[in-house]
Amino acid sequence: MAYYRCPMCRKICPDHLDLARHYLGQTDKKHKDWLKTQGLSYAKLITDQITEFGNKGYQALADVLKKEAPEVKEI
Amino acid sequence: MMKEYSVIGKPTPNVDGPAKVTGEAAYTIDMTLPNMLYGKLLRSPYPHAKIISIDISKAEALPGVKAIITGKDTPGGRYGLWRRFRELSDQECLATTKVRYIGDPVAALAATTEEIAEKALDLIEVEYEPLPAVFDPIEAMKEDAPTVHDEFPSNINATRHIEWGDVDEAFAKADYVREDRYVLSPAHPTAMEVHNSLASFDKGTGRLTVWSSTQSPYFLQQGLADALKMREGDIRVIKPHVGGGYGGKNSTMPDSISAALLSMKTGRPVKVVFNRDEEFTATEHRTGQHMAIKIGLKKDGTIVALEIKALTNGGAFTALGATTLYLTGTFGTMPYKIPSYRYDGVRTYTNTVWGTSIRGFGAVPAKFITETQLDRAAHDLGIDPLDIRIKNAVEPGYEAPGQYTFESCAIKPCLEKMKERAKEKWPKLQKDEGIGYAAFAYMSGGIFNWIDTPYAYSSAHVKVNIDGTVDLYTQASDIGQGHNTVAAMICAEELGIGIKDIRLHLGDTAHTYTDLGAWGSRETLMNGNAIKDAAAQVKNKLIEIARLKLGENIAYDLVAKNHRVYLELRPERGLSYYDLVKDAIKANDGVPLTGVGHYTPHNKGMISPAYGMGVLAIKVKVDRETGHVDAKDVLVVHDCGQVINPLGARGQVEGSVHMGLGYGMCEEMPMDQGMVLNPEFVDYKILRTRDMPEIEIIDVPTYEPNGPFGAKEAAEATIAPTAPAFANAVYAAVGAEFYSNVLKPEKVLKAIREAEAKQKANSKAKK
Repeated sequence: MAYYRCPMCRKICPDHLDLARHYLGQTDKKHKDWLKTQGLSYAKLITDQITEFGNKGYQALADVLKKEAPEVKEI
Repeated sequence: MMKEYSVIGKPTPNVDGPAKVTGEAAYTIDMTLPNMLYGKLLRSPYPHAKIISIDISKAEALPGVKAIITGKDTPGGRYGLWRRFRELSDQECLATTKVRYIGDPVAALAATTEEIAEKALDLIEVEYEPLPAVFDPIEAMKEDAPTVHDEFPSNINATRHIEWGDVDEAFAKADYVREDRYVLSPAHPTAMEVHNSLASFDKGTGRLTVWSSTQSPYFLQQGLADALKMREGDIRVIKPHVGGGYGGKNSTMPDSISAALLSMKTGRPVKVVFNRDEEFTATEHRTGQHMAIKIGLKKDGTIVALEIKALTNGGAFTALGATTLYLTGTFGTMPYKIPSYRYDGVRTYTNTVWGTSIRGFGAVPAKFITETQLDRAAHDLGIDPLDIRIKNAVEPGYEAPGQYTFESCAIKPCLEKMKERAKEKWPKLQKDEGIGYAAFAYMSGGIFNWIDTPYAYSSAHVKVNIDGTVDLYTQASDIGQGHNTVAAMICAEELGIGIKDIRLHLGDTAHTYTDLGAWGSRETLMNGNAIKDAAAQVKNKLIEIARLKLGENIAYDLVAKNHRVYLELRPERGLSYYDLVKDAIKANDGVPLTGVGHYTPHNKGMISPAYGMGVLAIKVKVDRETGHVDAKDVLVVHDCGQVINPLGARGQVEGSVHMGLGYGMCEEMPMDQGMVLNPEFVDYKILRTRDMPEIEIIDVPTYEPNGPFGAKEAAEATIAPTAPAFANAVYAAVGAEFYSNVLKPEKVLKAIREAEAKQKANSKAKK
């Protein structure tokens, strides 16, 4: 089974969508600041997630994490 | 078959009832100490502003003023209930650099009389620099919104996500999909006793004693330790009788902190009592929120997917708001089988007084939207509102993935009983009358540990004296819900004695082991288990001695009942409880028999070890000309496991229905630019006794394996279905739909006119 590690902490998740859910659940500055380096806005992602049905905010971050959070070979 | 008990299940008047009705019961608000001073708080008139300067010189010069403190005089500790994530401990003793809501305390003073204290407040001069403020959660999340807490850009205080199943695929396959959006108003818990505390600091020992109207002495002890940067053990919190809490007294509030700081400064006891205006404008309330809900069903009414979005107006601080946000997502699914579910919750900081976990702990908004939408869906699909609930109701053993499991569960029998009884009770409806239904389930205490306690969730200490009397020590909180009686009944039942044999020692952190307090309907199950454990330890000692004295075969079971210990199958063979106690104490080298019991849930999911549940119906009559709705009758069919005290359980259901009906009919907190517009009972409308309908309650008994003697929640559940059942009843009567609570006549009238116009348009289209 594949796992993917959060670029900011040691959390691993089974897929990038789940990793995006973890990521946007964090309230610390470190996680939020990294989003800016990726050209993403924390507030925009959360707003998209909460104002529209579906997983729009998580999916947008998951798409970025596909590039930035490679598969973990060893846990 | 339910077991026959001697004490449990018998209608029992509250053990502290006589003291309360004769006025003898002491509440913090009644207390005075020699040499006591009166404390008052100076509060911000701005929702958001920098504090430029505070000049206390004129106030200090007023005769009778003994001490004044501002933010710079405080130890600088930050506190809050979310101790597990320190960034969410976001409150400070007094505002230091800026104020965040109208009512934020900036200074506190102590004087020899209340009048002098009030007068002195007017003499403190504060220079503010007003800052742009934000009041609405949608506005708060915008990039250019003013920031309430610098550490939280975009004012996003907490987010919560729950998801299981393939939600999008399930919606795609559903025969019927419906989306609705709601706006729900904030409401106040309106406890009769306002927040108040009395603090006494001993300069010699460096120890602090605080008497407070609190729901949790332990939470207050922790909050004070954080705020004042003291050791918890140097703070003793005593909870006298409490005149109501309803969730509004879980947090450490400025009354206790300022009383403590002023006592530390003066070396004299200081009492701080909020007035009713402060209570409404500067204490915690039920959060207002924007919600969206999407449901997918098969033609036969089977729910296949559900999605909920909740955006809450958190106000200036976190308190228990982040937990409430999560629980809204959890309770949104109960008591139904939901194969695919997605929940997103976002709590925003705004420049308003903060919202938290008021009675129903997140279930109230969740149930309002889910139960009203389910009714609309049933109508569209041509299914009876009770049948659609029966079809989707959970069964014993149901597990919501990663969330919760129902062990005892009689929701289907409750719904079926409702169907039968409603037919009997309301055989025929008159014009513009309607019946609305809503089903519910609610936790028996929370498993989540945001307070980060290293202690057991509940503990109790039982001591049996030589004459057979029992001292029961517990920190569990009776805040008017009747837990003292329940505690005594559980202890008495386990020991096989009467409640008159038991003396309670309550709510003092110096003399009782920890209990997390009264919230989330936790005391009966959690403290009940701890008491039962403690009492069982003593009982087992008595049984051991009885077995030796009787010389019976070890295979024979002995029971303790009616002040005797005897063979279960041969009751005539037994010994007196009193004689056994004497023998046991002698055998124990003269030391009274003791037991220390505790309870912490393990392996019971994320939410709660057990769930109360049921269905509620309301019959209404609507006046089409005025929009006035008369709530005529309420019928509750309830599974709360083994009922410990039927009188207490009835009182809890009635109280919850009262509060729920208020949420549906009249209770709201309109705000303008962060200012609460109705901060008094003249304008904040609550239902009076004479406004209340008759309430019939039917218990469907079950045995909950995780509860003491099979008991579970009975206190809060019925608040959540009341408002949606009321809205559903109006819909059933006149076809008016509501996407907000508080169905005032003008709102009902408007909805009736809209329904009539819709009906006309439909008939025209058909023609």
